[in-house]
Amino acid sequence: MADVTDPEARLGTPLWVKVFGVIALVVLVLFVIVFITGGGAMHGPARHAP
Amino acid sequence: MLSPWVRKLVLTLHVTASVGWLGAVIAFLALAVLGLTSQDPQTVRGAFLVMEPAAGSILVPLSFASLLTGVIQSLGGAWGLFRHYWVLFKLLINVTASIVLLLYMQTLRYVAGVAADPATDLALVRNPSPLLHAGAALLLLLVAVILSVYKPRGLTPYGARKERERQRQRRRGVGLANPIR
Repeated sequence: MADVTDPEARLGTPLWVKVFGVIALVVLVLFVIVFITGGGAMHGPARHAP
Repeated sequence: MLSPWVRKLVLTLHVTASVGWLGAVIAFLALAVLGLTSQDPQTVRGAFLVMEPAAGSILVPLSFASLLTGVIQSLGGAWGLFRHYWVLFKLLINVTASIVLLLYMQTLRYVAGVAADPATDLALVRNPSPLLHAGAALLLLLVAVILSVYKPRGLTPYGARKERERQRQRRRGVGLANPIR
């Protein structure tokens, strides 16, 4: 658990932040790829129709 | 800074709204599974019909209540809104989920319209999209719960700068309190 006054909390970017950042970036890239390659060409209600 | 009494009140409201949102998403997930798996045509149509009003009257208000109380709680407390990575990630999760939910209301209206038309084949009424979106929302909200409970360490560059300023001020304060003679 983080402590506001913990001196260790000030040391660089923690590993968990890097892991979360990479996951968020991968999800974002996948979303953009799907959107560009036709899957998202008509993103909206009709796209969700089976 | 908020007074301790007000901070507790806002924290109570934030936890209530956030946990309520999580529970509503789980209920929505159950509804989506029911709509996809039930053999009863009326149950299938009913499940997809009720999603839009349920989301509009429960999910949307709870998501914004969670966002608003979370922002007040962070800005009025010691953690700040942009100082710690875990608070920042929670903010991003909340904002992303709320925006996607608002955009998704359009899809839910479409799904309800399809379910309301008795001429539409039941196979077309069964739509996997709500299940997919509710599953993704549940995953995001569980990550937010984990971040809230564990509060993993890590200051943002802004938080580190503020912390250095705070320590400088504290040292200056100590220096003034104990002047060298």
